[in-house]
Amino acid sequence: MNKDSQMRAAINQKLIEMGERERLKELLRAKLVECGWKDQMKAQCKDVIREKGLEHVTVEDLVVEITPKGRALVPDSVKKELLQRIRAFLAQHSTL
Amino acid sequence: MKMEEVSMSSLDNSKLEGVAQDILSDLVEDACLGVCFEVHRAVKQGYFFLDDTDQESMREFEIVDQPGLDVFGQVYNQWKNKECVCPNCSRSIAASRFAPHLEKCLGMGRNSSRIANRRIVTGGNNTNNKSESDQEDNDDVNDNDWSYGAEKKAKKRKSDKVFAHSLKQPILLVRLYMFGNIAFVHISMKAVHHQGTKIVLGSFLTRQFKKNNPPHKNHKDTHTQ
Repeated sequence: MNKDSQMRAAINQKLIEMGERERLKELLRAKLVECGWKDQMKAQCKDVIREKGLEHVTVEDLVVEITPKGRALVPDSVKKELLQRIRAFLAQHSTL
Repeated sequence: MKMEEVSMSSLDNSKLEGVAQDILSDLVEDACLGVCFEVHRAVKQGYFFLDDTDQESMREFEIVDQPGLDVFGQVYNQWKNKECVCPNCSRSIAASRFAPHLEKCLGMGRNSSRIANRRIVTGGNNTNNKSESDQEDNDDVNDNDWSYGAEKKAKKRKSDKVFAHSLKQPILLVRLYMFGNIAFVHISMKAVHHQGTKIVLGSFLTRQFKKNNPPHKNHKDTHTQ
């Protein structure tokens, strides 16, 4: 298992060093906005805010409520595309 | 942690897939957190609910989707078939052609002077580009003693076009160059061979000239039949 975690760490490091992680992040954000996911999330946030009260809502409240819903609501097409890019990156840089 | 050389080719594809999935879920979580921070800041700064409107206004400005209407609910071809009367020439013009017609009619638009001048040229008169200089030259011509029907030329300018069309015979278009007070007439060599060719100089002149006209103050070289 140690090898695994080492490997993962190595991969992550490479991702960051090559700037690929930033690019992937931007790509994901753009796709999520495009498909309306962000608007859905904002609507969810509105509900949370109305529930907790405008003055007293904290970041924690939002995170706890929103993150699981967010994960679930990402469309499959977006997931597929991102995974494709990640796999391509991994295949290209398989020997570190 | 020291970075060891690890060859991934020895790993299962499933592990690689697992790694890819983990990376994806990290990225998604980043995105979610991003949204949370953004929303929270908007709430605390007070601009989160700015784009909300009440139900009544929403219904009032809803997009209209009926035939014959645009999205605002206005009739967009209401004046397609209406006709307007031009204040200048008192003609009845279609609404969509009204603005360009006014331009030409009043002589004020961008292209109206060009068109007016084209008409003058096809009437067989001038090649001057500016109608202002035409008028200037006319004034100069009028000053002279011998102004070969220049007064008529100035007055009957408008009827040029009409006149040219009414002749109903081949008209020889001749270029009249105004250079100061002197007019030069340029006729192509071909034309000279024609017998009985009438040289038409504007509306004031349908004469047959004899060759070698005695030079006048306004020297116009014209060839005769």
